[in-house]
Amino acid sequence: MIRIGCFFVPMFPLAARLRSEPDLLHEALAIVAGNGNNAHVIAATRRARKKGIHAGLSLAQARSILPKLIARGRDEACERAAQEALLEVAETFSPRVEDAGDGLAYVDISGTERLFGGQRAAGGGRESEQELAKAAIRAIEDIGLPARVGIAASKLAARVAAELPQTPTVVTPGDEAKFLAPLPLARLSPELEAAAMLQRFGLTTIGDLARLPENEIASRLGDIGRELHFAARGIDPRPLIPRPLPPEFREGMELEWPLVALEPFVFIANAALDRLSKRMEMQGFACKRIEITLTLEPDGYDARAIDLPAPTRDVKTILTLIRLDLEKRPPGAPVIGFTFVAQPDRPRRAQLSLFGPAALSPEKLATTIARLISMLGDGRVGMPMTVDGHLPERHDIAEFAPPPPPDTRRPPPRARGLLAARTFRPPIPVEVITERGTIASVRGENIEGSVRVCSGPWRIEEGWWRDAPAEREYWDVELWGGGIYRVYQAAATKEWFVDARFGM
Amino acid sequence: MAVTARRLESQFRLIPGAIPVLLPPLPDVESAASEAVKELRKGLEGRISACLTSGTELIEALDRRRRNQVVPTTLEAIDALLDGGLARGKMTEIAGRGARLSVAVATLASATSIGEAAALIDIGDAFDPQIGEAAGINLRRMLWVRPKTLKQAVTAAEMLTTTGFQLVVLDAGLPPLRGRVPDASWVRLARAAEAHGTALLVSAPYPLTGTTSEAMLRAEGSRGRWSGKLLMGVETALRLEKHRRKRPGEAARLLFHVEELAVSRWPLAEETANGQRPTANV
Repeated sequence: MIRIGCFFVPMFPLAARLRSEPDLLHEALAIVAGNGNNAHVIAATRRARKKGIHAGLSLAQARSILPKLIARGRDEACERAAQEALLEVAETFSPRVEDAGDGLAYVDISGTERLFGGQRAAGGGRESEQELAKAAIRAIEDIGLPARVGIAASKLAARVAAELPQTPTVVTPGDEAKFLAPLPLARLSPELEAAAMLQRFGLTTIGDLARLPENEIASRLGDIGRELHFAARGIDPRPLIPRPLPPEFREGMELEWPLVALEPFVFIANAALDRLSKRMEMQGFACKRIEITLTLEPDGYDARAIDLPAPTRDVKTILTLIRLDLEKRPPGAPVIGFTFVAQPDRPRRAQLSLFGPAALSPEKLATTIARLISMLGDGRVGMPMTVDGHLPERHDIAEFAPPPPPDTRRPPPRARGLLAARTFRPPIPVEVITERGTIASVRGENIEGSVRVCSGPWRIEEGWWRDAPAEREYWDVELWGGGIYRVYQAAATKEWFVDARFGM
Repeated sequence: MAVTARRLESQFRLIPGAIPVLLPPLPDVESAASEAVKELRKGLEGRISACLTSGTELIEALDRRRRNQVVPTTLEAIDALLDGGLARGKMTEIAGRGARLSVAVATLASATSIGEAAALIDIGDAFDPQIGEAAGINLRRMLWVRPKTLKQAVTAAEMLTTTGFQLVVLDAGLPPLRGRVPDASWVRLARAAEAHGTALLVSAPYPLTGTTSEAMLRAEGSRGRWSGKLLMGVETALRLEKHRRKRPGEAARLLFHVEELAVSRWPLAEETANGQRPTANV
C-alpha cells in the first residue's frame, strides 16, 4: 500500500522571508500582498499576532493597530528558494517527491520509513513512520523553515494531517475516513467556496458530509460536490506526480533598498551562498559554475557567470570570486535584487593510499586552487604544459588534476643535473655594444657589464607564415662582474633583449 | 580454511625464497591509545595480542615514518650536506646567487617522479616547462603558482602546505624582491609545514626565513663552464650555513649541464654550421 508524507510549511510567505532575514524572527513583522490601497496582510509573526495583526487586514488597518509594524512585500525569489530547499529536503527521504507549491511537498515514503529513526523504527509500521516524520521536521528546521508533517495513504488525508497544529500526525492505513470525520469541513478544501456553502446547509464536520448520499450531493453541487464527497470519505484518486530532478540550485532575494556599495551586497550574498552550499551538500553536489543575475534600479538586469576551477562548496571561495568579478566589472546601477544559480557537479573523489604517497583531498585541492585563482587571477595557477615550437619562452598552463599516486613508494631516479635557465617574462630590453661581430658589453635594467665570454649567434625562426614572424639571433654571454645570460636580437626591429639567466 | 592454510604453507616451502611480499615492511607500531583496543588485547593470549595492530595504529605509524623521511634532491652533493635531503615537516632555505632554480627543479623532479604532489611558487615567473620536463619533472603532479609579490607567495605556500602537498618550493626570484613579509609569517609557514609533514624549500637571493628554517644552504656565485664555443654548464659552490642536527660549514661544488638542452633548444644549430658559424670570444 502506498504511503504518502506531506511536508507542510505553515505561513509559507512569512517563513520564506524569515529564512532569508532570520533577524526579523522576533520583530513585529507582517508580509503584505498587493500595492497601495490594496495592500493587505497575508501573514504575521507571533509578536505581531499578539498585538492583533492577522491575515486579511489592510496595511493601513494594521499600521493603525501597531504603528511600528515592519511590513515586507512577498518576495518571489525568497519563496522560490525556500520551496526548492523544502523539496531538496524531501528528496533526502524519498526519490519520489511532488512539488505542490507554496510550502507543500508530497513524498512517497513507501518502504523508506525503515531507513530513518534508528533501532526503534526497525520494525516498520506506525512507530517507524512517526520517527521518519520527526526526522523530516528536524531536517526542514535545519534549513530555516518551520515544518509540519502528516502521513497517510492519500495526498488529501496527508495534507489535512500535516495542517493540524499537533505534529507529526500519522493516519493508520484504512482509517482515513475515521480520521477526517471529526474535523471541520473547511479543512477539506479551504480554497473552495463549496465547503463554505455546505457549512451554511448545516454541515459542520467532514463526517457529516461523508454520511450523506453521494448522488444527492452531486445533483446539487455538480462535479465539485462529488469530489468533496469522495474527499470526505478519505478517497483521493489523484496520484503522486514526482518532479524531475532540478538541473540547478537557485537562491535569491529582492532587497528593500537599492544597494550601491559592494560590502553590504557581499554581506547579504554570503548568507544566500551559505544556504546554497547547504542545499548542495544535502544532495551531494558541489558548484562548478555560478550564474549571478542582479536586478538593477530603475530597470534592467546584469547577468554574469563565474566558472570555478573545480567543483566546490566553499562559500568563502565562491564569495571571493564574486567579489573580484564585481570589482572588476561593476554593475553600473544600484542593485535591488539578486539571484544566484549554481550549476551542480559531483565533487571529485579519490581513493586514499595506505603505503604509497598520500593523495591530495580533491575537495580541499579544488578549494585551494579556487582561492589561489581569486588571489592571483586567471592563468597564474595550474599545471605547466610544454608547447611545441622553438621560442625558449614558450609555455602554457592547464587545469591541475594530478593522477592518483602509485600504490607503493619507490626511490626516485638520480637527478640528471640539468641547468635550469631562469626565464624573463617579458624579456628585458638591453643596449648591446658589438665589436668585430661579437658582443662586447650589455646594459639594461639590473644587468650591466663587459662581456667575459660570448658564444653565438644561433638563429631561430618561427611562424614565417604569420604577419609578424619571430626571427631572432641568440647569444650566450658571461659578464666579468658575474652572471650568464641569454641575449637575442630581433631581426625585424634590430632591438636587443635578455630573455634568461643561467645559474641563479 | 585450516586445510587451505596448510596447503599454501607447504607450497611456499617448496619454493624457497619465492614467498610473495604483498605489502612493504611495516614500521614499528606503538601501543594502542584506544581503550577498546587495550581491552581487546587484555582478553587475548599474549602471543596473539603481540601480533595485533589496529588500523589507526598502523596509519599513525605510517604517518610517523613518512615524517621521519626526507625528500631527496637526488643531487648527491646536496643530499650529503642535508643528511639525505629536505626534511619533511621542515623548512629548508637555499640563498645566494648560485644555481638555486636548478636545485629546485631537481627536487621537484625527485618528488613528482615517485608520485608525490609538488608545488612551485614562482615569483619571477621564471620556470620553463620544457626544461622541467627534460629534468624529469612529472608535470601532471606539479602545480605552478605565479604570484607577483612575496606576500602572495608566502600566503600561497601556507595554503598549499595545509592542502597536503608533500613538497612546496617557494622561489623568490631575482633581487630586488617585491614586497616584504613579517617574520611571523615565516613562523606560521614553518608550523604549517610541521603540522602537515610538508617538505618546504625556500629559494631566495638572500636569507629570508631567519631562525625558522631547519637548514640553510648558501649558493655562491655561478661560473660558466665553456667548451670551445659552447656553454657546457654552470658551476656553483654550496655551503651549509645552518643545520639543526649537524655542524655547519661543509661545502660542495656542483656542475649543472646544458649540453642536452643545446640539442633540443637550438633546432637550427645545424643550419648555422652551414651558413653562420657560432663564434666565441673567450
